[in-house]
Amino acid sequence: MELDKCLELLYAGQLLPEETLRALCFKLKEKLVNESNVVHISTPVTVVGDIHGQFHDLLEIFKIGGIVPNTNYLFLGDYVDRGLYSVETMSLLIVLKLRYPNRVHLLRGNHESRQITQSYGFYSECLNKYGGSTGVWQCFTDLFDFLVLCCIIDNELFCVHGGLSPNVQTIDQIRIIDRFREIPHDGAMADLVWSDPEDSGSESGNPNPASTVTHFQVSPRGAGYTFGRSVVEKFLQLNGMSRIYRAHQLCNEGYQVYFGGLVTTVWSAPNYCYRCGNKASILELYDKDHSYFNVFEEAPENKLLNSTGHTTNEAYLKEFFGESTESVDMFSDEYQMASASKRHVEYFL
Amino acid sequence: MDNRRIPKHGISMIQVNQAREAFAQTARARDPRIASNPRHQATAAPISNDIIPRVPPSPPRHKCNNPKNPSCPHCSAVIIPAPKATLPAEDTPSISIADWKVSTRKKPILNSKELEDWEVILGGLTLPEMIFGNSFVRIENEKTGWSLDFNALDALKAVKMEDSGIRVSYANKWINSKREQQRTSELDENSLQIGQHYDWTYTTNYKGTVRNGNCDKHFIQDDSLELPIDKLTRPDPILFYDDMILFEDELADNGISMINVKVRVMNERALVLSRFFLRVDGVLFRVYDTRVYVEFNESKVLREYKEHETDYKTVLGRQNSGPSKDPKAILRDSNWVVQQLPLLRRECETIQL
Repeated sequence: MELDKCLELLYAGQLLPEETLRALCFKLKEKLVNESNVVHISTPVTVVGDIHGQFHDLLEIFKIGGIVPNTNYLFLGDYVDRGLYSVETMSLLIVLKLRYPNRVHLLRGNHESRQITQSYGFYSECLNKYGGSTGVWQCFTDLFDFLVLCCIIDNELFCVHGGLSPNVQTIDQIRIIDRFREIPHDGAMADLVWSDPEDSGSESGNPNPASTVTHFQVSPRGAGYTFGRSVVEKFLQLNGMSRIYRAHQLCNEGYQVYFGGLVTTVWSAPNYCYRCGNKASILELYDKDHSYFNVFEEAPENKLLNSTGHTTNEAYLKEFFGESTESVDMFSDEYQMASASKRHVEYFL
Repeated sequence: MDNRRIPKHGISMIQVNQAREAFAQTARARDPRIASNPRHQATAAPISNDIIPRVPPSPPRHKCNNPKNPSCPHCSAVIIPAPKATLPAEDTPSISIADWKVSTRKKPILNSKELEDWEVILGGLTLPEMIFGNSFVRIENEKTGWSLDFNALDALKAVKMEDSGIRVSYANKWINSKREQQRTSELDENSLQIGQHYDWTYTTNYKGTVRNGNCDKHFIQDDSLELPIDKLTRPDPILFYDDMILFEDELADNGISMINVKVRVMNERALVLSRFFLRVDGVLFRVYDTRVYVEFNESKVLREYKEHETDYKTVLGRQNSGPSKDPKAILRDSNWVVQQLPLLRRECETIQL
């Protein structure tokens, strides 16, 4: 199938046939295998954080940020799981990357993994949407092994899904990682997609200044790291970078600034899991010194997702503008009564 | 809001969305077809699967305090909170019956300012990923001012600031491989110390927050008491219902830790279930339930607290849906999980107002 035909279908919220997906994944793997672990790009570019299968919000991003190829995009990973449309989201990103390889860049997130996707929804979704066959999920997850780990913009902005690793002092150490594999529990590759900044600012009320986190610490979970300010400063200085952009952590405002701007989280899944009520943002980088957080809320389509199950624009428009005879004034008693009776009530004990 | 600081960027997406919403509402409200469409009045039957028999009309004794709720001429219709207000508006649905008032509030997760405040209050606890800190379920006795709240802040105050002893399934492997690296390379000594000590599973024995008001009575423990299952299984119409999460954390994708609170109010009584659910993949399950039962006429409150726990393997072994392709799906269902867990501890207490 032609790529443009695929795009047309995907933008309309439709699924691609399994055979097509298989071919697309194969082609993209061929492309990605030649890329370094660390990709270099330049501004202007728009940085997008976690999407987590919220397909309509991805379309919303293209509406506010500009469509591909008119805008360059760098996605920081976590395309799948949790949301209801991981398959659509991933398919669209794959086709966009193939169609406009220099306009779209995809990093790997911790959810681009076989193990994680089995627990957090993507695996189940693939089975449901492709007749109980695991083939599609295998194609996708095999492709995930080829996604790159980091990106450097204008030679000084370091972008990664999670954060830093004690095993990585220099960017050259990232270049030599063998990335074509499942994300391990341990080591530089795991830390890059997993670790979090720990900002023990002065206002945290910590009575013991000596315990202020400035270096790497093991999480109380017994695995994984948090990294403090001094780690960041050292890394930036050693590698001639000025800032780090990453995703991986939910923030109500859509972004979160750490260490006086040295590290910034970009979060792009509004109303996360369809219930958090948070905002999301995309970061528009005009040049290395000028940027803008374009903050947005969930796409109006999302509000109807759970009730209708339709993903097509047509059904949505019908509902939204009251074309259907079933539709009534939302403020009327009748509407309230009817929707109350449809709402979930449980005789829990 | 960020977009105010940088005016050159024109209309923000939030404003656009709000405008869309307002426009759609206006468009709908003015549609003449709506006014002449009485069909929906007939659809007020409460629950689709007809488990509720027709109840003989009894005199109304409850009052719906939220004008947005469907008007209730002592019908058997389900009255539950109005839909989430999309433009900023205070939205605290509630219902009053006899001396009692039950109210709930659902709000988005905390913003970064609130999170900073909470970090100070909670003394350095690394906060869960999602905190619905402005949401609550409240039952109050309007005569005495006595009330019982379920909210996230008090639930998190009960999280211990000490090592839980629980580690993720691959922790040993992880630490050992780090030790290996430490011997052979440049990793410094203290990089293997666990940074902060707090219970990262957010296990909490929270049973709700009591405010005494003008009432000098207290809960009296009596473990022999039981919830009146017969009364609670009767399909009395539910007049008010809500269901909310107080906090949730996915433990860096090692499972889930969350508190969910549900409330249902019938004509004679109310029941609240606050459930702490913990799954650490490959390690264990925990379900701590607090149930609060109020009998309105007797002004009596019963509170039952139960702790259930067992290891992960046992529960995984119980799921016998055959050679399912997705065996983990059911492990997300706390109702199923709790039935597989042994009861480790039960407490019951009562208060007569």
